[in-house]
Amino acid sequence: MEYYLGIAQTIGIHALLGWSAYVLLLTGQLSLAQVGFFAIGAYVSAILTTMFGFHIVPALMVGALLGGFFAMLVGFPALRVKGLMLVVATIAFTQFVSLFFFNVHWRREVDGVMAGPDSTQGFREIRFYAANGWDTLDVTLFIWLFVLLVMVGLWWLDRSRAGAVLRAVGADDLAAQSSGINLTVAKVTAMTAGGVIAGLAGGLYAHSATYVDHLTFSVLLATFAIAYPIIGGIHNVLGTLAATIFIQGILIEGLRFLGDWRNILFGLLIILVMNLKPNGIMDARTMRAIKRIFAGGKTADSK
Amino acid sequence: MDDIVFYTVEIIQSIIDGVLFGSTYALIGIGFTLIFGAMHKLNMTYAAASLAGAYIGLAFFTLFDAPVMLVFLAAIVGSAGIGLIVYYICFRYIPVEDHLAALMASVGALFFIDEIVIHATNASPLTFPALFDDVMFELGPFGIRGDLLFVFAVSLISMAALWYVLYRTRLGLATRAVSQQGIAAQLCGIDIHRTNGTTFVVAGMLGGVAGSMIGASVGILSPLLTLPITIKGLIVTVIGGLGSIPGAIVAGFLVGALENVFLFVRGVNERDMYIMLLLFVFLVFRPHGIFSRRAERD
Repeated sequence: MEYYLGIAQTIGIHALLGWSAYVLLLTGQLSLAQVGFFAIGAYVSAILTTMFGFHIVPALMVGALLGGFFAMLVGFPALRVKGLMLVVATIAFTQFVSLFFFNVHWRREVDGVMAGPDSTQGFREIRFYAANGWDTLDVTLFIWLFVLLVMVGLWWLDRSRAGAVLRAVGADDLAAQSSGINLTVAKVTAMTAGGVIAGLAGGLYAHSATYVDHLTFSVLLATFAIAYPIIGGIHNVLGTLAATIFIQGILIEGLRFLGDWRNILFGLLIILVMNLKPNGIMDARTMRAIKRIFAGGKTADSK
Repeated sequence: MDDIVFYTVEIIQSIIDGVLFGSTYALIGIGFTLIFGAMHKLNMTYAAASLAGAYIGLAFFTLFDAPVMLVFLAAIVGSAGIGLIVYYICFRYIPVEDHLAALMASVGALFFIDEIVIHATNASPLTFPALFDDVMFELGPFGIRGDLLFVFAVSLISMAALWYVLYRTRLGLATRAVSQQGIAAQLCGIDIHRTNGTTFVVAGMLGGVAGSMIGASVGILSPLLTLPITIKGLIVTVIGGLGSIPGAIVAGFLVGALENVFLFVRGVNERDMYIMLLLFVFLVFRPHGIFSRRAERD
């Protein structure tokens, strides 16, 4: 049971990370900086709980807000360039943040023990859950509470005017601009929202892993963050969740029995999915099929 | 006073070594830029394929005890072959307008190639044969490493060869036509898919040179090299301006030199941090790269 709860936690955190990239992807921008904000959220909230005795909820909020703040700061210069230049710029940002935390050494004595990030040794003993007697089920439910909150929030966003603005920018930024949409505001807002979600996910990750170091926040993780919405498709929020379950649950956990070969198959399966479903596994067609199944085959109004 | 002299000499020495090694970054950058110029897509697999080519060359060296020149040749052929395969599985059949799908597929191919290399070598670093690594040219207070000079020379020769292919052959004419105006090129009877495939092969050959030169100057090949080389190559591409070959060359030397200077001044832990900052400086003040014209944005 613990094992499955562990997977559920990973899926929840990775889904949040995927959604943080999803928001920006709505505007057509691909960002690998999400892991940078994830790292900021992780370190900041863990510093607050371990070194200053904060409760986890305010600590997560501060981490999320700072993630959003840095996303805004990065957003202004980075969104001057778009498309592939942005990919490279944001890879560099993630690397920069990771290297920054690699060099951060800030220890403080709390209750007779040293706590805090210890540069190359990583940030150990982030024990808020254990110290407050939360068991794995509590932690999992706590994480999924945020997952549901973010999912409902994004679902609502998609149906609101703001969501329409973001999608308009993503579909054709020139057309969007000529109908009076301020591109910079739209993109930086999306970036900030993504940063908040990533910061939140980072805080949750740091506390359930109890240990983070700079290697955690790699370009590989950043690639996963964009892989979820791309593989899932940005037709709606469910795509990202489906892709997270597909990758983390099936490809990574489910194929564990293959040993070494799993990693090789992993890359091949991504290539295969992208060739067969270039718009993601939950594209418009899949959604129609799912709707048909749930409607019991009675409504044959699909095109 | 002596301190300052010593410091200056060391920094100039770092710059010399850095520029020589930077020629490999330039090659990787050119490869990214070539493919981007042709298809307006980013091939994330490129650096991994280059190093995999070097591994193929190395396999010839360890299995058949082949001479070093043959090792380089095998690396070039191997990397070109991988380039062609990557083109077919990641770009050829994915609709042109689906940039994200092609990008993601090439990331998948990156994982795939990397894992095959890890699987084949048990993830342990292997020694790569170098040429002239016992030669050292003395130039006043400075020394020039023979193997780095060789790497530099080979890189320059391959750049010249690329220039010849692009500007003096019909193949290069087709490649340039496709990269300027795909549809117009098609109307002139150029087979776009075939030209793109050839571009991948040409870029792959350059990658094979780059991969084996990296192996020759570092002395070892390791799967751990893939990510740093990918990132440095991308940075070089962006600093040079996407699609600009001269830009990639200059940016390669620049990044190589500055990297070594930062290594000398601030140590290995902080070195890459400053390269990322350099990229941001370029993005803010010169987002179109060193040579790229304003109109060629994105």
